[in-house]
Amino acid sequence: MILLLFWMTVAGAAHAGESLAVPPYLNCHSVMGWEQAGALRDYAPDNLYEYKDGAAEGYLIYSFARMRGIDCKSGGTTLAIDVSDMTDADSAYGMFSANRDPKEPIAKIGMGAQVMPLSLLFAKGRYFVEITQTDGNPGANQAGTLKAFAAKIEPLLEGRATLPEALQWFPPENQVSVKLVPESVLGLRILKRGYVAQYDRGQAFVVQEESPEAASETMKKLRARWEGAAPAQMADEAFTVKAPYLEGLCVFRKGRYIGGYANLPKASEAAAKAGILLARIP
Amino acid sequence: MPNTSRRDFLSAGLMLPVAGAASNAGFLQPLESSGEKPSAGKPVKLDHRVLGKTGLKVTTLSMGCMITSDPSVITRAADLGINYFDTARGYQHGNNERMVGAALGTKRKQVVLSTKSDGDDKAKLLAHLDTSLSELKTDYIDIWYLHGKDNPDHIRDEMIEAQQIARQQGKIRFSGMSTHALPKMSSWTVDKKAFDVVLVTYNFSMDPKMDEALAAVAKTGAGIVAMKVMAGGFRNVGPSHPLYPRLHRDGAILSALKWVLNKPNVHTTIPSMTDMDQLDENMRVMAEPFAAADEKTLAAHLEQIRPLYCRMCGQCDGTCAQGLPVAAMLRILTYADGYGQFALARERFAELPAGHAAVRCGDCGECTVRCPNGVRVAERLGRAQELFA
Repeated sequence: MILLLFWMTVAGAAHAGESLAVPPYLNCHSVMGWEQAGALRDYAPDNLYEYKDGAAEGYLIYSFARMRGIDCKSGGTTLAIDVSDMTDADSAYGMFSANRDPKEPIAKIGMGAQVMPLSLLFAKGRYFVEITQTDGNPGANQAGTLKAFAAKIEPLLEGRATLPEALQWFPPENQVSVKLVPESVLGLRILKRGYVAQYDRGQAFVVQEESPEAASETMKKLRARWEGAAPAQMADEAFTVKAPYLEGLCVFRKGRYIGGYANLPKASEAAAKAGILLARIP
Repeated sequence: MPNTSRRDFLSAGLMLPVAGAASNAGFLQPLESSGEKPSAGKPVKLDHRVLGKTGLKVTTLSMGCMITSDPSVITRAADLGINYFDTARGYQHGNNERMVGAALGTKRKQVVLSTKSDGDDKAKLLAHLDTSLSELKTDYIDIWYLHGKDNPDHIRDEMIEAQQIARQQGKIRFSGMSTHALPKMSSWTVDKKAFDVVLVTYNFSMDPKMDEALAAVAKTGAGIVAMKVMAGGFRNVGPSHPLYPRLHRDGAILSALKWVLNKPNVHTTIPSMTDMDQLDENMRVMAEPFAAADEKTLAAHLEQIRPLYCRMCGQCDGTCAQGLPVAAMLRILTYADGYGQFALARERFAELPAGHAAVRCGDCGECTVRCPNGVRVAERLGRAQELFA
């Protein structure tokens, strides 16, 4: 309800009477030939929609806390640099994973980066960084300049530059992408938050519960969801089922982790793939 | 909402006829036959309305796909009979359009599909449109919105020209505009008559001026699509948030949705739907009319927040005898009280000019600020000073 009121507000980001200090990582002069144009942008969860419209929701679900940004100008080209505090490193990487183009490679800046001709995204620590050409030649390739800015910004952001551990658990063969789903993994509310890896065929997932007992309770509810769920001999407990919208599905519990494989033609195939995933979870 | 009781406002909504109630189109059996035990366990009732002059017959519950967690939710919504889906070029740097296109697949031609562009000139808009068509795997968009236009100055003639060109080329069927500030946009929209559909932020907590603006735009024949109908706050406060139990009790989300659909000028709604469970819950809105219990639920929410939270209406600007930026300070306090972001609130308070930070409301005999929405300004500012100064 509180947020409700904010969604309706019309106040701008820089409020009357407030003077906002530009953080050191936002410095147009860090790359030669660029000047800051306009004032610092500063957004909180309540007013991010003023800048991002409906896309703001996509930030909020990844624990968005604050965004600060500036525009840098050189000749007829303008770059928007926005640095979002996503509360923790997992959420920052999650935001990156949700916004990167899975068809394009990941570059090594911070935890991971995507460099495109007109935009660069990366995550480091609890920060998600977007550098985007907002004005200028749409056919230009700004990758060099974007990387130059990223190289200046990245060391000034505190926090982890290594990938979330869970990403290593997913078998790399035929993997298209891995992303953090902040709520409702596989479209099921009961699977609150977890990683989902998309493969050429099917998808693997891992959800971490608070405790083995909580995970066991979730497994019980999952089994009850589908008629025909059959027990499988795997991990602490497991079942397979042909589920509507998820096709051949295998779900297992290992301690407090719930994992599995979905969207394969046969449940038996999902079970075989789930076994490979299971072996990689410590 | 000066001099008007929110309860009266809600009651006024209750007395309106349930538009479209007679247009229930059919029943679909959800997942029972396919093996899943449906959470609702009942047939799904569909309700359709005609989207203004477009003539498109859309379900009153449509689907905003922005934060949908898995494409299977979109596929199932289409199977259940929801026939209007909304996305935008800018959502998740294009990934949302990719997901929607993949999820709809062969159902594309059976549904109404809309997307939006925030391009600020003709070339950018048309380039965005071509990308949208490619990502959505379709050769036409049913409704193409200019995204997030909250001031008439932000819409240039060449942007409308881009929509006309796209239409001539057969890439779009209808043009639209999305706005969070319809009262500011309505006169211009009525005069310009440039849009077939207007997508507008609209919910139970808004000023009656909003209803007047909505009526004026609807009178032009434009289709009206309501967004933010559940007002963001309901769903963006997660289970771990201290406010969660309060905001999620009593079916408040469904009540808010029903309130919007009870309004005669709204043709459909596009609430964001994350998962299967939310889809099941929201489907009920097409079967259940807005009732007294819903009114009570929403009124309780409004009463609860009225003394505490600023609507940023700006009517207090310049009325503080000490010159304090009242709305800005109330907002800062809410970072702490509403979001638990105490450090951020203190940081923002420290950024106030020294003269403002030094003021103590307790030193004034009587507060000169009169909030038309009933916020207890002196008390709230005093709390901010106590916490952060």
